[in-house]
Amino acid sequence: MPAIRKLPLSGVRIADLTQNWAGPHATRILADFGAEVIKIEYVRRMDGLRGAGKENQAYDHHPRWLEVNRNKKSITLDLKRPTDVEVLKDLVKISDVVTECSRVGVLDKFGLGYEELKKLRPGLIMLSMPGYGSSGPDAQCAAYGGTLEALSGIHSLTAYQRTSKPMRIKEVDVTSGVAGACAVMTALIYRQRTGKGQWIDLSQLEAATSCLIGEHLLEFVMNGKATLPLGNRDARNAPQGCYPCRGDDKWVAISIRSDEEWLRLCNAMRRPELAEDPRFRTAAGRLAGHDQIDGIIGAWTAQWTHYEAMKALQAAGIAAGAVLNVAEIAEDTHLKYRGFFHEAEDGTGRYPGMPFVLPRALPEVRNRGPRLGEHDEEVRCGLLGRPKEEIEPITVDKIGTAFEIE
Amino acid sequence: MPDAALSHLNVLDLSHYVAGPHCTKMMAGFGATVVKVERPGTGDRLRSMGPFYKETPDLEGSIPFLWLNTGKKSVTLNLKSEGGKKILQDLARKADVVVESFSPRVMPGLGLSYDVLRKINPGIVMTSISSFGQTGPYRDFRAAEIVEYALSGLAYLTGDPDKAPLGAGPCMAQYTAGLSAYIATLMALFGRGEAGEGQHVDVSVQESNLDNIEVVLTEYMRTGKIPKRTGDEHVLVPWQIYPCQDGYAAIMGGPVRHWLRAVDLFEEPRLKDKPYQRIENRIEHREEVKQMLSPWVARHAKRDIYRAGQARKLAFGYLATLGEVLESPQHVARGYFQEVEHPVTGRQKYCGPPFRPAQTPWCAGRAPLLGEHNEEIYGGWLGLPEAETRRLKDEGVI
Repeated sequence: MPAIRKLPLSGVRIADLTQNWAGPHATRILADFGAEVIKIEYVRRMDGLRGAGKENQAYDHHPRWLEVNRNKKSITLDLKRPTDVEVLKDLVKISDVVTECSRVGVLDKFGLGYEELKKLRPGLIMLSMPGYGSSGPDAQCAAYGGTLEALSGIHSLTAYQRTSKPMRIKEVDVTSGVAGACAVMTALIYRQRTGKGQWIDLSQLEAATSCLIGEHLLEFVMNGKATLPLGNRDARNAPQGCYPCRGDDKWVAISIRSDEEWLRLCNAMRRPELAEDPRFRTAAGRLAGHDQIDGIIGAWTAQWTHYEAMKALQAAGIAAGAVLNVAEIAEDTHLKYRGFFHEAEDGTGRYPGMPFVLPRALPEVRNRGPRLGEHDEEVRCGLLGRPKEEIEPITVDKIGTAFEIE
Repeated sequence: MPDAALSHLNVLDLSHYVAGPHCTKMMAGFGATVVKVERPGTGDRLRSMGPFYKETPDLEGSIPFLWLNTGKKSVTLNLKSEGGKKILQDLARKADVVVESFSPRVMPGLGLSYDVLRKINPGIVMTSISSFGQTGPYRDFRAAEIVEYALSGLAYLTGDPDKAPLGAGPCMAQYTAGLSAYIATLMALFGRGEAGEGQHVDVSVQESNLDNIEVVLTEYMRTGKIPKRTGDEHVLVPWQIYPCQDGYAAIMGGPVRHWLRAVDLFEEPRLKDKPYQRIENRIEHREEVKQMLSPWVARHAKRDIYRAGQARKLAFGYLATLGEVLESPQHVARGYFQEVEHPVTGRQKYCGPPFRPAQTPWCAGRAPLLGEHNEEIYGGWLGLPEAETRRLKDEGVI
C-alpha cells in the first residue's frame, strides 16, 4: 500500500459559523479527517472559547481554543458590512457544507438562510444546530451544555443515591458535536450518491436525549418508572463500584457480572472462604449484601495502587479499570502504544488524538486552533480573489469578547 | 416516499450489547438495510438483560434491546459452525459494511478477519468496536460501562470531591462510541475512492470518549493542571442546579453579556453591586453569589424559573424528570416522540432521531424478533431454497 493516501474528507470545504464547543467539536472531527474548515469569526464578539481576556492576545492562546479549533482556518467577517456578506456568499459558492448554531432566524435576517444559500451552491449541505431545534415554543431559548443536560433528563439519572442530589456527568456539547458530525456525514453520503444537498435541523436537546438516554425514556414509557440512578451499582448484578486504592484520591472501578466472575474476584483477593459463603453465591444475594462486600473489596484494593489492582484483577479475568485523571491519561502506556497522542506539525505541542482509527490514511494535528483572522488574506484574496484593501485590520479597539457586559 | 440517506447500503451487523447496536441503529434509522446476525436460541445477550417490558423477562421484551435495534432485520447464525462461517462469507459478499463488537481476538479466531473478508469483497468497510481498540496492552482487558468510564477520564471528574468517583447512570461511554463508529464507517465509505477499496475501522470505546475531556486534557498538557471532581460546581458562576420549590433549577449565568440586566429577577439588589458585576468577580465570590441567589430560587417553581431566566435571555433550565421530558411542550410541538408498534409491547412512544435531514427523513421501525428475517435474507440475499433453510435450522447452523 502506498504510504500517503488522501484523508477521507479531503476536498470537502466547510464554511463554519458555529461557536463555543458543540458546533466547533463537530467541525473539529471533520477537519481532523481532511475537511477544509474555514471558521468565520466576528471580531466584535469573539467566540466564547477565546475567553474574556485581550492582553497579549490571550484569545489566541487558550489550550481549549488550540484543541477544539485545531486543523481549521480563521477568517473575520462583519455581517453588518454588505461587502462581508458578499464574501460569505462567495465562500458558500465554493463550499460543500455550511454549519451554524445561531439563534433561530438570525441568518435569515442577513439573507443567509438555507433557501438563499442553496441558490448559490446547488448540492449545498447546511447543518443548523440550535439548542432546541428550529421550531417549537422554545426555539428562541438559549442553552448551554448544563441547560440541556438538565432539560433532557440526562442529569436526573446519575446520583450517589436515589434521593441524593443528581450529578452532572459531562458537557453535552461534545455529544451534540459528535451528533453534528454524524449529521454532516449522513448528508455527504447522500450527496455523493444523488448529488443532492439538504438542510439538517439538529436540536441539541433532541440529539443528546436520543444519543444517550433513549432506553431510559422507553423504560419510563413502558413500565412507568426509572431504574436509575443507582450510584455506582448495577441493577442486575453485584458487586460493582469504585474502590479506594493506595495514594491520594486513587480508585479502581470493578464490575462483577456473573457468579463465575465473583468466584474469580474472591480468588484474586485470596479470600476463598468468601466464594464458599452461601449468602453471596447468587447475584440477588450479593446485591443484598452489597455494603458488606464493598467493605471487603475496599480493604483489599487499599493495599494496591489503582494500576496494580487493575492489572491483577484483569489477569484474573475481571472487568476492572483504574480511575484515571488527566495526568495519568496523558502518560497511559496503552494510549501511547496506540499512538493516540499527536505532536502538532506546527510545533505547538501535544494534543489528544482522534476518536477512531481509519488506518488507510492516518490524520495528523496539522495546526493549532487559528489566530483571530489568521487566514483572512489566504481565504479572502487567495481563495476568493477579493482585493486586499477590503481586509480591515484587526485593531485592539475593535476586539470584543463574549464576556463583556452589555 | 422520500429517499432515505443510506438506502443504498447493506450492513451486516455482528455487534451486540450497546455500542455496536447504537451505531447500526443510526444506520437503519437513516435507511440502510441492517441485518443483525444473532446466535441461534439466545441472540444478542442484551435480549436477556433488563429492564424488561412489564418487568417480565422475555427475549423480545428487553427495553434496551428494543431501543437499540429499531429498524433492523434479524437472522440467526452459528458463527462457530463451519456452515455458519460459510454463510457469513456469502452474506459479506452482499454487504457494504460489517460492524462487529467482539473482543479483538474473536473475529480472527473465527477465520473472519478483515483480511479474509476483503478477499471476498474488496470494497467492504469493516468496523470493529472494542473497549480499548484492536491493538495495545489493554486490548484483551475485560470491561463494563463503569470501567470504560473510569479509563476514559470521566469518572475521576464525576461526583463529590470527598466521595468516590461516580459512574454515569446512562451507558455514556458505549453510546458515545456508537456515534463515533457511525461517523467512522461513513467516512470510510465516503473516502473509498475510485478503486472502491474498503478498510478496517478501529473504534476504541476509551479513545472515542476522550473527546469528552479534550479541553482539560489539552490544558493539562500545557499547564500541568489536574482538575478534580467538584460536585456540581462549574468554572463559571452561577452555572449549576439549585434546589427550588419542586426540584432543581439550572441557573446558568450566560450568555454573560445579559447577566447584569437580568439579575433583578433574583430580588437581591446586592447582586448588582460592583464586586459581583463581572464574571471574574462572581467566580472570585462563588459562595456569596450562591447565597444571594438561593432564596429566590428556593421559593419558586422550576418551570417559572426557566421562563423567567429565558425571558431575560439567560440560558436557564430545570432538572427534568423522565416523566416531565415525555410531557415537554417543546418535544410535543416538534413531534419528537414517535409511536412504534411491536408484537410483544404493542404501540409505544419512542424518542425520535438525533437530527432531521430535511430531504431524507428518519425511518422509524421496530426491533426485530430473533431470527424473524431468516427466510427473507437467506432466501432473498443468498437464494437458499426453503428446504435448505430448514435443513440449516435442524442442524443448528441458523
